[in-house]
Amino acid sequence: MSAKKAFLPEPAVVQPLAVDMRRLTRVGARPRFLDYLVQLWDFREFIYYDARARVQSGTRRDRLGSAWLLLNPIFNGLTYYAIFGILLQTSGGIKNYVGYLVIGIFVFQGTSGAITSGARSIHSNKSMVEAFNFPRATLPIGMNIREIMANVPLILGMLLIIVLIPPVEKITWLWLMIIPALLLQSVFNLGVGLILARIISRIHDTTHLIPFFMRAWMYGSAIFYSYDRFITHPTILAIVKMNPLFNVIDILRNCLLYAQPPTWQSWATLAVWALGALLAGLLFFWQGEESYGRG
Amino acid sequence: MVAAEQVLEVEGHPCVVVDGAAMEYRVVTTDSDAAAQERRDTSLLKRFGRRPNTVVVRALYELSLVAERGESVGIIGRNGSGKSTLMKLISGQVRPTSGAVFASSTPIMLGVNAALMPDLSGHQNVVLGCLAMGMSRREVDDKFPSIVELCGLEDSIYLPMKSYSSGMASRLRFAIAASIDPEILLVDEALNTGDAQFGNRSKRRMDQLRGQAGCVFLVSHSLETITNMCSRVIWLDKGHLIMDGDPSDTVRAYQDFTGHLAKGNNLSAARVRDEARAALQTTQILARSKMHRSRR
Repeated sequence: MSAKKAFLPEPAVVQPLAVDMRRLTRVGARPRFLDYLVQLWDFREFIYYDARARVQSGTRRDRLGSAWLLLNPIFNGLTYYAIFGILLQTSGGIKNYVGYLVIGIFVFQGTSGAITSGARSIHSNKSMVEAFNFPRATLPIGMNIREIMANVPLILGMLLIIVLIPPVEKITWLWLMIIPALLLQSVFNLGVGLILARIISRIHDTTHLIPFFMRAWMYGSAIFYSYDRFITHPTILAIVKMNPLFNVIDILRNCLLYAQPPTWQSWATLAVWALGALLAGLLFFWQGEESYGRG
Repeated sequence: MVAAEQVLEVEGHPCVVVDGAAMEYRVVTTDSDAAAQERRDTSLLKRFGRRPNTVVVRALYELSLVAERGESVGIIGRNGSGKSTLMKLISGQVRPTSGAVFASSTPIMLGVNAALMPDLSGHQNVVLGCLAMGMSRREVDDKFPSIVELCGLEDSIYLPMKSYSSGMASRLRFAIAASIDPEILLVDEALNTGDAQFGNRSKRRMDQLRGQAGCVFLVSHSLETITNMCSRVIWLDKGHLIMDGDPSDTVRAYQDFTGHLAKGNNLSAARVRDEARAALQTTQILARSKMHRSRR
């Protein structure tokens, strides 16, 4: 390379040009944070259309189509029920184990799906990123909205299982409280997805770690066992209670199965996690805005 | 290299200012000698965390230019000369490793490589692409008939894009990108796609866009297109600027160069290139008002 350069003669003249730069902006420059948020709002139609189109095309290759959205967690639930409920008997002492298990699995799958697809959104939409100049955070946001849309039938299916499979639970006004809990969960998913999306776009190796991380998280969220039976160490118990996902699951179980209003501590922990993750995610993602089109 | 004695003032507000932009990529190589050389040249600490066996490829050496309103600039050069890299830098798709590119509004790249979503239908891709360029849903719906007309896909527009032939797909991409009326338009080989019928339609749309646009950059291997459409031509070779000036002069020199290469006369080809380079007048950008380069 350097040999070639030496052969090429230097240009004859360097002409300095004075240019009025006042009306020019640097192309692809990252806007200030608040401007960035405004831009995201301006692209809301793009986000919404992107999400909706993906929900429709997501399972089109399968003969049963969207039914897989529901069948998948049901099969998962049956597997866990067979292993943990029947073989290992972790269900001891849990009232309505089927409902307990179903809520845990459906909620966990919601988060793991949303975080994984949010994290991969930049990578899997490379063609869009290279073709058009739009605020990149629209992609993880669109992915998360897609997950919310896909989750609505899932949650309805979950409620149906709870109502139909004995022991049958009564529907109370507490059932409405699952809506804010699920919304906070989605906000949290988005925040984590934004953080991971930037890390993956820089260091692609991280994608290999996400499944392990998710599995560890699943075992730490008391999905198929009762946390107060298996966790006796006070510090570990405190950590489990800080787990945002555990709080979502706990709120849902209290509302749907045990007709007990969730504690304010659960709400507070969840809200802090959700808003904290969103803010941290947006800031972190925004800082890398100019790097996503590259390499 | 001699510096010119007097500073020239650029009148008014230029559309695009490329200020010493250079681009290098770090890529994996299978050439073990090159990788070994690279290992010797960099310290262990620097190499840590990098993928193994990578080398730096300099796609574009430092380049400065000013494009004013009303100019259409053609870019010519062999494969791998840095034409597409320069276009990517101007469009803001890629950030230069050093230097910066300034523009008076967001440049729109009209290319055939704007791959879209294969699972979605052509119709959905049109809407998505237009929304991604910042149009509102209503504008998209207004423009939809003209986009379908331009790409000539008719009813196939409602089929998934993965069922399209490559010609159909690139026609659709062109039609989407051409639906917006940009001030700064970048065209990368877009005219060479599709059959003769589409060729005519796309040429008409291109002429229309060039008429409206303040400034056009055009990359094409068709020298005829370049001479017909451009008011200024830039010749790049292996990432270096060789010539910048009148279309017919530059194209003639380039044709001379490739003609020698085709006959296998590499030395005379190099002589043509070096002569052109030795006569080159490059630019150095001085900001008249305070330049707001962002922090790096």
